[in-house]
Parts: sequence; structure tokens; C-alpha cells
Amino acid sequence: MSAAGLATETVVQAIGQGPRNYAVLTHDLTKRFGKRTAVDGLDLCIPAGSITGFVGPNGAGKTTTIRMLLGLIRPSAGSGTVLGYPLGHSRAYLPRVGALIEGPTFYPPLSGRENLMVLARLGGLSKKRVDAVLERVGLASRAFDPFRTYSLGMRQRLGIAAALLPLPELLVLDEPTNGLDPHGIAEIRAMLRSFADDGMTVFVSSHLLAEIQQICEHLVVIEAGRLLFQGGVDELLAARAPELIVRTENRADARYLLTLVIGTGRSARVLGETGGTTLEISADCSWAADLNRLAMANGVTLVHLAERRSTLEEAFFEITRTGTGSKAECSMSQGDDGIRRGAWPAKARHK
Amino acid sequence: MIWRAFASEWVKMRRRRLWYGTYGAITGVVLLTTIVTIAGALHHADAHGALTLAQMAQASGLSQGLTQSGVLLGAVSFAVAAFQFGGEFSHGTLRNLLVRQPRRSVLMAGKCLAVLTFLVGAIVVATMVGICAAFVMAHFRDIPTRAWTSAGGMSDLGSLMGDLVISTCGFAVIGMIAGVLLRSSVIAIAAGLAVLLPFETILTDAVPGTGRWLPAQLLESIAQGGSTVAPFGAAVITVSAYIVGAFAIATLVFVRRDVTA
Repeated sequence: MSAAGLATETVVQAIGQGPRNYAVLTHDLTKRFGKRTAVDGLDLCIPAGSITGFVGPNGAGKTTTIRMLLGLIRPSAGSGTVLGYPLGHSRAYLPRVGALIEGPTFYPPLSGRENLMVLARLGGLSKKRVDAVLERVGLASRAFDPFRTYSLGMRQRLGIAAALLPLPELLVLDEPTNGLDPHGIAEIRAMLRSFADDGMTVFVSSHLLAEIQQICEHLVVIEAGRLLFQGGVDELLAARAPELIVRTENRADARYLLTLVIGTGRSARVLGETGGTTLEISADCSWAADLNRLAMANGVTLVHLAERRSTLEEAFFEITRTGTGSKAECSMSQGDDGIRRGAWPAKARHK
Repeated sequence: MIWRAFASEWVKMRRRRLWYGTYGAITGVVLLTTIVTIAGALHHADAHGALTLAQMAQASGLSQGLTQSGVLLGAVSFAVAAFQFGGEFSHGTLRNLLVRQPRRSVLMAGKCLAVLTFLVGAIVVATMVGICAAFVMAHFRDIPTRAWTSAGGMSDLGSLMGDLVISTCGFAVIGMIAGVLLRSSVIAIAAGLAVLLPFETILTDAVPGTGRWLPAQLLESIAQGGSTVAPFGAAVITVSAYIVGAFAIATLVFVRRDVTA
């Protein structure tokens, strides 16, 4: 049985059992708008109690996927569960789900508190709960001001407050940091961490990959509606070959060292931005001592030697570039926990 | 469940601008038609069948001004209902509501009930103001008002208020349906009013007999307690059939359609 097939079977079994370990499970989830396929056979496994990042280029199908999970859009094909209930029975699980979808949208003339009261009344929630969530997101002092007077950061926080209203087990946030300044982003980041500490499952889509890298333990990458990667953030970063960054005293030394390194069978290149004195070598830190000895033995003095771990942004660009929307190029395997994980294609592992 | 949707909608409708705007507009319409009707009453009957002071002094005189306001009240009600429903799509707030209340038919029914109670309240307030204005105008035109406060006068007034409420609710439900189907308050109001008012009027004038089939004409007839073209009973039955059918279609569309706004 192929790895992909095994993963599919496990997802189907997990859906049938309604597992408590996963907040969200989907199998072959598909949405077509006319001839356009927005989401194409998505198999999601979102572990309960985790912060899971959901990333992909614009138009990748993130919001469509989120809308399907929330019962706003009917899937064209496929199945899934949210908090153990089938996707078609959103009324069973939505009372335990909080969501901010495509930015905060509220009634401009109403105050922040009144906007939340609209939703609280609809969900049968109390005024106390409204005041509690306003306090939690730091909007209590502006609760009675009209929504139209709120800054973008305050609007985002009100959106998060609305999502928190039902004391959710699953919090789905679509671009919660969109348009925020660094201070606002840090606030949202701290908030998301505190939600996870409270035991919520947080599923957050974002374009800010550095933020995702900082707060998420689990990651889902999609492109053109297809799953490119799913698994731990560390796994994704570890899958990309680490690099040693070396700087020499002058350009001639850098050129000479480049020849020496290539002679050992490793790939390397001279970076242009430091006057041609810096080399990027495909190797991890275990080879750093050997490299230093090699340089010294050949009369090259190193002024800088460090390992550079790849960032999520680099990994994202690489996986979306090499994946080209095809699962075939990103081989899938499945761990003991049933999560389908991506592995880097050989050509992407080493430049 | 419907109660929750109803209570939620009322949080929105308590905002002052909507309250003053709607209640002000409806009261203004009633006030205007009452004043114009009584001020324009003639001493003697003319060839055009205009109201006379003698007719105004009868038991039905108090409700004459209200009778003339049916279509305008309907237009205001249509616009308010279309705005309340279409605006949810335009603002993108519908998705928030549906996450908290996934039963779309319940949400729609609760919202509809809230909008109708809001408008019925406006009709009651406007009628009270209209009655006060009628008494003031009667004083200026030397119209005896003893018959207005008789049992017959009160009965006429109550009956007319009932007709106005039915007519207004009919316009409001059509507005709601337009908002749901067109998913935009601006388009729903513009297109709906264009069809219900000038288009239907032109069609009625151009093609005799169509008045008894066109919704706005039928609702106007209901507001006036029936007309020669569309008697009250027939108008109520025809409009009810239209509204039930359209409401069922709108509910089906609302329940089935993807929410992408």
C-alpha cells in the first residue's frame, strides 16, 4: 500500500471513530465553484490542544476550507469531522467553536459591546460572558465606543473576542494579524499562546510566516487547494538542509575556500552581499570543526563561522515552489499518530 | 431558538439612527397625508370625487388621512426590511451570525419577526401621532369630531390600523425576500422600489386589470380596506399566496446557498 493510501485509510478510520485526539479531520475534502476547484481532496488532521498554522499563497483555498469547516460552504465532495461531529452537522459542534473569518466584520454604528451582544443573544450567551471576553482582549475601556471608531488592531481584537464568546474548544482564526503593526502582532501572538494554555485548539491561518513559526507547533501548507505539507513545524524546518555561513578576510580567500569545500563533495556558493567574502555551505554544525581545520590547514582565516537554520519563510517558498500544487512532488508519509506528513523532494533537499 | 434570533436582531434595531429614521419617516408620512387630506377637503363635492368637509365629519373621517399613506408606508417598510437583510450580506456580518446560529431558517424567521414587530410598532406610533394631527387640523377646518370618537369611528380606525399593519408587513416581507435573494441592501432597495412603485403603476395604467395581480397594487388595496379592482378578501388571498411562495423560495435559497460574503 502506498504511503498516501495508508494515510487516507487512517484518516477514514479516524473519522469513523470520531477520535478525541483530533479537533478536525477531513478526508478528500473538495470544493468546486463551477469549473474552478478551490479545495482539492484535502486530508486534514488537526491535533486537539495544539496551535496549528494554516498557510498557503493567496487563493490557495485557506478561507474556503475554513468556511467548509464552519458550515458556511457546502463541500462538493469529501467528508470530515469537527470535534468529533460530521461536517454536515455543524449545529452540533459550532456551539463549541469560535471563529474569526476573513477579518473582523461588525455593524459600524453599534458599539463593540453591542456587536458582541448581537452574537451573544443569538448563541444564548450571557452579558457577563460578553464583558469577560472584552476584558480578556483588552477592550473593556472602549467597549461602549462605536465599532467604526476602532483602530484596525482594536477591530481584530473585537473579532477575537467574538470568537471567544462561546468558550470554544476550537478557535478558528483567519488572518488575525492582517494589517496589524508589530506591537499589535505581538499582542495577538501572546493572546493565542494564552488560549492554547487554556486548552483550546487554535487553528490559525496567516501570511506572516515568522509569526506562525513562533507560535505554532503544527503546520498545514496548501497551494492551489492541495495539501503540500502537514506536520510539526520542526519537522518541516529539519527537513530542509541546514547551512554553514562562513566569512573570510578577503574575496580571494573566499574563492579559495569555495574550491576546497567543493573538493570535499559538498555544495557551496559565495554570497555577493558582503563583497564576496561570505560562503554558504550545505552542511550542519557537526562539520563546522572540520571546516575550520580545513581552512586553517590551507592558510585561510575565518572571521565568522555559524550555522544558519532555515526559516519557515524559506521552507514555505521552497515547498510551494517545488510542490507546484502537486502531491506527487512532495512525497507523503504517515506517522504512528496517523498524521500525514510531507517530506522534501530529493531535488529540493540540496541545492 | 427563534426567540434568540429575534432578541439578537432587536439589539441591532435599538440603535438610535435606525429608530429615529424609521419611526420618523413612517410618522412623517402619516402626518403629511393626514394634514394634506384634511387641509384639502372641499366645502362641496366636485367632479373628481375629492373628500368634502362633510365626509370628513363622519365616523370614518379620522382614518381618511391614514388611508392615503398605505403605499408610502409600504415603501419605507420595504426599504427597512431589505436593508436589514441585504446589509448582512453587504457588510459580511452574516457569517458571524451563522457561526452562532447554524440553523439558517431559524435565523431568518427570528430576524423576520423582529423586523415586523419593529415596523408594527412604528405604525402604531405613527397612527397615534396622525390621530393627534387630525384633531388639530379638524379644529382649524371647523370639522366636528364627535363622530370620530364614537364606537363606529373607533371601529373604523381599528380596522384601518389592521389593514395598514397587514399591508406594511406584506411590503416588509417582500423587502426581506429581495434582500436575501439579491444579497445587497442597495440593489434590493433600488430594484425593489423601482419594480413595486413606478413599474407596477405604469403596467397597471397600460394594461387594465393587472392591478389585481401585482403585489404592490394588492398591498395598496389592502391598506385602503379593498378597492373595486382588488377587493380586500381577494387581495389578501392573492398576496398571501405570493408571500408564502416567495418566502419559501427565499428560505430554501438562504438555507442552501454558500455563504461567501
